Amino acid sequence: MGEILRTGLNVLNVIILAYFFLINSFYFLFTVLSLFGLARHRNLTAYVNFKEIFRLPLIKPISIIAPAHNEEKTIVESVRSLLSLEYPVFEVIVVNDGSSDMTLDKLIKHFQLERSRRVFRKVVDHKPIKKIYASPAHPKLVVVDKVNGRKADALNAGLNVSRYPLFCAMDGDSILEKDALLKMVRPFLEEPEKTVAAGGIIRLSNGCRVANGQVQQVGLPRNALARFQVIEYFRAFLGGRIGMGMLKSMLIVSGAFGVFRKDVALACGGYRPDSIGEDMDLIIRMRRHLHEQKTPFEIRFVPDPICWTEAPEVLKSLSNQRNRWHRGLLETLMHNKVMLFNPRYGVTGLFAMPFYFLFEMLGPFIELLGYIIFAVSIALGFVNAPFAVLFFLVAVVLGVLLSLLSILLGEYSSERYPKRKDILILTLYSLLENFIYRQWLTFVRVVAFFDFYKGKEEWGAMEKKGFAQAG
Amino acid sequence: MSQPLIIAAYSLIFLLSFSVCLFGFIISRRVILDRRKVHFDRVYREIEKDILEAVSRLDPAFTLGVAQKYIHHPAVLTQALLDFGDVIAGEGREQLKIIFSRAIRNRCLRGVASRWATKRLRSVRLFIIFFDPAESDFLFRLLDDKPIIKLAVINALARVPTPETTRYIFRAFEEDSGATVQAYFNIMFGLGNRIEASVRAFLKKPQSPAKLGLLVELVGAIPLRTLYEDITPLAAHPDKEIRIRVARALGKLLVPETADTLIALASDEAWEVKAQAVKSLGQMKNLKALDILEASLFSPSWYVRHNAGYGLADMGEEGLRRLKKVAAQEADRYARDMSVMVLNELIVTAEAA
Repeated sequence: MGEILRTGLNVLNVIILAYFFLINSFYFLFTVLSLFGLARHRNLTAYVNFKEIFRLPLIKPISIIAPAHNEEKTIVESVRSLLSLEYPVFEVIVVNDGSSDMTLDKLIKHFQLERSRRVFRKVVDHKPIKKIYASPAHPKLVVVDKVNGRKADALNAGLNVSRYPLFCAMDGDSILEKDALLKMVRPFLEEPEKTVAAGGIIRLSNGCRVANGQVQQVGLPRNALARFQVIEYFRAFLGGRIGMGMLKSMLIVSGAFGVFRKDVALACGGYRPDSIGEDMDLIIRMRRHLHEQKTPFEIRFVPDPICWTEAPEVLKSLSNQRNRWHRGLLETLMHNKVMLFNPRYGVTGLFAMPFYFLFEMLGPFIELLGYIIFAVSIALGFVNAPFAVLFFLVAVVLGVLLSLLSILLGEYSSERYPKRKDILILTLYSLLENFIYRQWLTFVRVVAFFDFYKGKEEWGAMEKKGFAQAG
Repeated sequence: MSQPLIIAAYSLIFLLSFSVCLFGFIISRRVILDRRKVHFDRVYREIEKDILEAVSRLDPAFTLGVAQKYIHHPAVLTQALLDFGDVIAGEGREQLKIIFSRAIRNRCLRGVASRWATKRLRSVRLFIIFFDPAESDFLFRLLDDKPIIKLAVINALARVPTPETTRYIFRAFEEDSGATVQAYFNIMFGLGNRIEASVRAFLKKPQSPAKLGLLVELVGAIPLRTLYEDITPLAAHPDKEIRIRVARALGKLLVPETADTLIALASDEAWEVKAQAVKSLGQMKNLKALDILEASLFSPSWYVRHNAGYGLADMGEEGLRRLKKVAAQEADRYARDMSVMVLNELIVTAEAA
């Protein structure tokens, strides 16, 4: 019996070791690719004056759609930031998604909104629109007040009301850099027929000084939880998405900031109104549609336009957010499971989807299983203590190494953290995150898995401090 | 020691050394960059002062002295020239050109011959800013380079108003495949009326729909009014995209003789063509189009109704009268709502007055 148990545990240990090796190899590969990609992008854009885009006659106008639900603390600052963007022709559509706080009142008061008789074409479904507001003082601004749905539902309402061929989906609580759209539209100018979506970088505004709708001074957050997230965002955006983009396997254009071709999004039926992970869901359905139509396409990641967003600073909010993200991932992968390992969908079906399925969706389970089996193996004396300690240290140092590589990527990107002390702090936090924080996140994602199968549909509201107070 | 233990120990040592080295690299890189920045800013301030003096003195000897003084700071000088090159015109710019030719040009020439595409591209971009027509032959040779370099070169050439340049650009356009065709639009647009003869000649040649559409769009965008006769026959082109572009171009050319063509396009079988044609008719402000615009407000297509509404608004008093008439009727609520929206927006922006 003991021998069977030992063999079984050994087999599982080997599987988990192989998984550990494989996942870290992929992350390492993405990070190295990102280093090359970022360096190449910097070289190619050196001496490019993005303001020249203003003079280009074929530039496409953009509708910025910003859903807002109970964002009273940040909404005015965010909308002001959007209205001050540098771009030849754009409109800002704020969709007040049934807020129960003062979001709409603040918008009406600050932007002198008046009721508009705007007529729109209902191409995609959404919950009813109560009123549409326009501002004589800010002709680019349109505010749609609608019955509460989900973010996807609000984006659909915005899509219907929008008038331009490109749309930029973003969060109502985010801040775009002034030239973010000019940088983001480049792929659509270079390959107007092929480019269907482009994503930019999301950075955390916690710790930054925000004034007049813009980040005036970049700084590290003081809150430990936010600092852990800074490293995570570096890894995800600078390490992961640039690398995945270079392998033409990007499955997510962040919901906080992405530009899409409206005709393609509408051809896929817009956002799925009940989806939780609407950003990933749209990209996968776009890929699916275009593969099925045999239309060549590009989904690009542009490493320099930055969108600043506020990260949760309390455990409950972070737990809610990550729970929702993981449920969104599960829901999207399940909804499009026909694409998994399906050669009809090219690199999406054969690499991108399986990667997300094996490493992002099942990852938390395998990680948790690894911890349990490792503990049982030690307790039963199947693994000797020195090896256990050494292996744990290897895992920690490997995690730190990957984080250091993403910190290096951060150094190559624009708007790096200005003080040398910041690098030391980030390195320290990349070490500390391996103890408790990482295991806690694994646990949160495992719980999300069960929540998904229990049919939990809750969005999980996040407590906001507002830009000026974020620290 | 067992084999797994040895492997784990070696892995740990390797990863730890790698991490420490990487950390050291990040920190030392930052220290070096910070120091460089301080140095860069100091030199930049000095260059800025000297450039401003050179620009105000307009003394070639002094300018040459400035170039000589900073010849060993090419990166800072390049940045300063780029910053000032965008804002200084006329004789002042000539002084900047002197500094460029004296201090950076040779470096750029070496860069253009580099085996690294990014270096070539950067050098070509510098040439774009301080282009000397005498160098066009040298740049023509780069037209056989990678697409990104080729386009940068064409961009540079577009700044030189010679017939030879136009010929080279159109030759490159003719030979180019679909992927970069779109980029030519911006380049040709920059050439303005100078390309009229070349566009006319090209419109007569058999073209791919992508290139033909681009040329039609170009006629409207510049605008090249004398070419209206060359594009109106394309209103019967079997490709819908071409007809849309013809309708758009005619709306920009605003030649009264093309009103009938636009009226015909407003009854096209494709709603996209109709929508564009009614928009152009509004821009043209031709009263002959009032009836068709009013009728288009009752179109089943949202975009046709939308453009017809704004088209009528563009027509002035008589257009507004028609909009009010449709807004008052009850038979078609879609036409009514569209008219109400347009009228409402005109009131908000005070254009109705």
